[in-house]
Amino acid sequence: MNLITALVIGTLFAAGIYQILRRNVIRAAIGLALISNAINLYLFSMGTYNGLAAAYTTATEQISDPLPQALVLTAIVISAGGFAFVLGLLYVLSTRYKTSDSDEINGLKH
Amino acid sequence: MTESILLLPLLLIVLGLPVVFLLRRMGLTNPKAGWLLSTFPLAAFFILLYAYTLLPHGKPLFFRLPWIPSLGLNFSLYLDGLAALFGLIITGIGALVVLYTGYYFDDAHPTRPTSGETHKSSLEVRFFAYILLFMLAMLGVVLAGDFITMFIFWEGTSISSFLLIGYKYKDEAARKGAFKSLFITGGGGIALLAGCLFVIHLTGSADWNTVIAGRELLTNSPLYPAFFTLIVFGAFTKSAQFPAHIWLPEAMSAPTPASAFLHSATMVKAGIYLLARLNPALGGTDLWFWVLSGFGLITMLAGAYLGSKQNDLKPLLAYSTVSQLGVLVALIAQQSEIAFKALVISILAHALYKSALFMAAGIIDHETGTRDLRQLGGLRKQMPILFAITSIAALSMAGLPPLFGFLAKETLLASATHPGLPPIIDSLFPLTTVLAGALILFQAAILVWGVFLAPPADPKHPPHGHDPRPGFWLPPAIPALLSLLIGITPIEPAFLANFLADSAKAAYGAKVKVSLALWTGINVPLLLSIVAVSLGAALFWQRNRLRAALMTFLPDLTVNRLYDWTLRGLDWLAKTATHLQGGQVRVYLRVIAISAVSLYLLLGGFPPLSLLPSPQWNLHGLNGLRAFSLVIMAVAALSTIFLRRDLFSVLALGVVGLSVAVWMALEPAPDVALVQVVVDILTTVILILGLNAIPRKQRDRANELLHSRRGMTRDWFVAGIFGLAVALTTFTALELRPRESLVSPYYAENAKPMTGAKDIVGAIVVDFRGSDTLIEIMVFGMAGVAIYTLFHFGARKPGEASTQETLQTLPARMPRGIYALPTSPLLHTLAYVMLPLAFLLGATHMMYGHDQPGDGFTAGVIISLAIAMWYIVFGYQETRRKLTWLNRNNLVATGLTLALLNALLGVALGEGFFAPVNYGDRLSLPLPPGFSLSSAFLFEVAICLTVMGAATLMIDNLGRIREDENA
Repeated sequence: MNLITALVIGTLFAAGIYQILRRNVIRAAIGLALISNAINLYLFSMGTYNGLAAAYTTATEQISDPLPQALVLTAIVISAGGFAFVLGLLYVLSTRYKTSDSDEINGLKH
Repeated sequence: MTESILLLPLLLIVLGLPVVFLLRRMGLTNPKAGWLLSTFPLAAFFILLYAYTLLPHGKPLFFRLPWIPSLGLNFSLYLDGLAALFGLIITGIGALVVLYTGYYFDDAHPTRPTSGETHKSSLEVRFFAYILLFMLAMLGVVLAGDFITMFIFWEGTSISSFLLIGYKYKDEAARKGAFKSLFITGGGGIALLAGCLFVIHLTGSADWNTVIAGRELLTNSPLYPAFFTLIVFGAFTKSAQFPAHIWLPEAMSAPTPASAFLHSATMVKAGIYLLARLNPALGGTDLWFWVLSGFGLITMLAGAYLGSKQNDLKPLLAYSTVSQLGVLVALIAQQSEIAFKALVISILAHALYKSALFMAAGIIDHETGTRDLRQLGGLRKQMPILFAITSIAALSMAGLPPLFGFLAKETLLASATHPGLPPIIDSLFPLTTVLAGALILFQAAILVWGVFLAPPADPKHPPHGHDPRPGFWLPPAIPALLSLLIGITPIEPAFLANFLADSAKAAYGAKVKVSLALWTGINVPLLLSIVAVSLGAALFWQRNRLRAALMTFLPDLTVNRLYDWTLRGLDWLAKTATHLQGGQVRVYLRVIAISAVSLYLLLGGFPPLSLLPSPQWNLHGLNGLRAFSLVIMAVAALSTIFLRRDLFSVLALGVVGLSVAVWMALEPAPDVALVQVVVDILTTVILILGLNAIPRKQRDRANELLHSRRGMTRDWFVAGIFGLAVALTTFTALELRPRESLVSPYYAENAKPMTGAKDIVGAIVVDFRGSDTLIEIMVFGMAGVAIYTLFHFGARKPGEASTQETLQTLPARMPRGIYALPTSPLLHTLAYVMLPLAFLLGATHMMYGHDQPGDGFTAGVIISLAIAMWYIVFGYQETRRKLTWLNRNNLVATGLTLALLNALLGVALGEGFFAPVNYGDRLSLPLPPGFSLSSAFLFEVAICLTVMGAATLMIDNLGRIREDENA
């Protein structure tokens, strides 16, 4: 089980890295989102115990660890905000450079 | 609090700085400002003198102010004999130099037509400020009580010296000289800091008392050669020891007052001070002796030799300073009483005569317009007072009786012939001293001869000038007279002798007897002195031939080429390093990815293989749905790559997010899953909108630029090993994670009693870790506002007007959807219904989020998505016209303010920041069952408002672009 989870997270990460290395900046944004998902998943699965019921005080069975859930909640929101900002940046880059090819966006060179 | 008196001198100088700027407003002339400002260092001088008399018998004063106590850092000051000697020289000569500066920059009496130094009629505020700044730094160095405080002031001297040398910044020589001095002394400063850190690490404290007490520990440490080298390197660069001396002659492009102050009396002595201060802690070893003796003697001789080659008065004086600094370093190397006696006498004597000579050189330059020995001559009749001053100081420099300099040379020779010296040095030291002494005497002689006595070099154009006003010649006259008075006074000045003995004691570490009697009978030093004087006289007699030989044959001994090569090499290195960056972001990313994995493998290593469950895979906890969500996740992630159209790729990304949500829901973690769902939808929506913000043609072109097969294989390889590394880490972490939580049970137990929430996750988010969430929504709100800013100002080309338009100017038109596409009335109705429904849904989320899945964030995103639907159905302009209440920026601001107020209200009610408060119960309001008007609810509302504002900002800014283009 752990091995499978790890492999899936690794796959998400690998796909994200591959996308980030594309020349099309939109693909790079998609890669970024994939990596955020992988990281959130990673954090989420680090709970100390898996339960049978959601983390409610009324639960009668063993509840799942609420702490990583709360932390991941924050992480999801922040990665979404960051991702939206990246999209804004990409738009500005594409209007300034008239291209979405990252190889041509090199105004900082030298 | 006698110690705190040590702060006063520093504070006085600091006080002088604003006064400088005040004086400009008052429109004072330079000389008047000089008189006024010199009172600050003068007062500091007397305070130091008073503080010195307060010293409890032989014990230093120590003042300490905690700075960063957790790191053991203090701001501390320290006064003993050694610090007092330097401090008095700095403030005493400083007062004279400030006074001198006023006249130096005086234009009221233009006695000289034009020369290298530009004069302005206004007050030289900048110069006065720099010189006071330097004085502060220098005083700080000698009064500092520990390494760190000293280092800060030490760097201050480098920087203010840079400013002073580069004062005439329009002159290239000044700029180059300033840079060179900063480069060399700054480099030495870095080495010094590293050395200091070693010492602090070994002794456990930075202050002088501890460091000196840790002598055994330090000198026996195996690291001793390392930090010895670093510290001595710092001191040598500062004190211009060969071959780092090259910056000092070039520093002469500073205005003369700065040269007189920095480059003769004070800054170059900082290294000497440091070595003397650390001698009790680090000295006495073989390494110390040989390195300091070696460099000291070489510098002594090289400085004396190079000085004899100069025609310009200031470099001549600068090189003789270099020589003198070599003398001082060589003296610190010796561990004998007489050497430290010689050290303190030489420091004082040199400070007195050299500052006088520098100031005199400045006056000559100021009055005649030149400092070149080849153009001067015969000024004795025209400038009798200056002639007297210069002669006295030069006699002291030459080491002739009955001046103070004679005493300095006698004690130097006595320590050079000290019987305790080891072989080689016992012959080299006296030999070098005699040779250097003869050369210095020669220089002093040609200085006086060339300027005042010799017939003018060019009889047709003799230099002419006359004695300046008293205020101008007074500053050099005082130290010159002191050199004479200390020498000839029949009664030995007991105070001075005791004072010098005290200073020497601090540097030597044991008692030193100092007598200032000139005549000590016929002995070896006297005989050697006579040899040196005769040799010097012989050199002077043959001066013309000697000078000609010096100028033509003998080498310059300069290491400037080495310095130039170093600089050029650095430039080349920087350029090459920059060329490596080809401007392709992908290349950088690849390098980053490979480096990250390599570091991980290098430092983290592989996970223990025992964790890998061999054939039988542990499938515990895997059911159909979970397996399904994982498979979908992996497949969708890979399809984002293989789907050629961007839109499909984005949709596949959405699928990844949704299957993550399914996985989370199966945990079971309904709160997280819910947020993941809404965030995934939001992300997909803005990504699709963003997709359309960038013209299709552009994107297609970027996609069509097919990567070569090799490039793709390489990227797959990079991505593959990165993914493998992540998988390995995750697997190891999952296997090894603790199965017992220390924190979660606390939350589980206290959620209900403390916050009244059934939902533990919700309680953590809005109550236990409320500050986290507050920051989280701040980030989200900021992202929204930042996107707005980017789109309104960033995308605009310079000069173009903002595309901002007011709602009033928007024309009413037929509702058309996004990209001006016609939309069906069915959709319109749906949108009209959706919005109030979304509000209702949001409200229930906020009200019951404490007991049920859902929270303010979900509520905010749901409402924003309903608004997004409006944008899609009615188009941007129509939506803005219809939803006039939707002021996004204000929503973000209101939300954040409410969140903060809510948090602070807890403080006001005495419950604490972000403490759960149930207002409904407090005010006993009739509320529906299951709903409580608590601080958590208010916080949820605040979150909802912020998220609504930020999310709609994201959606409409990304969505409206193409519409504008199409419209």
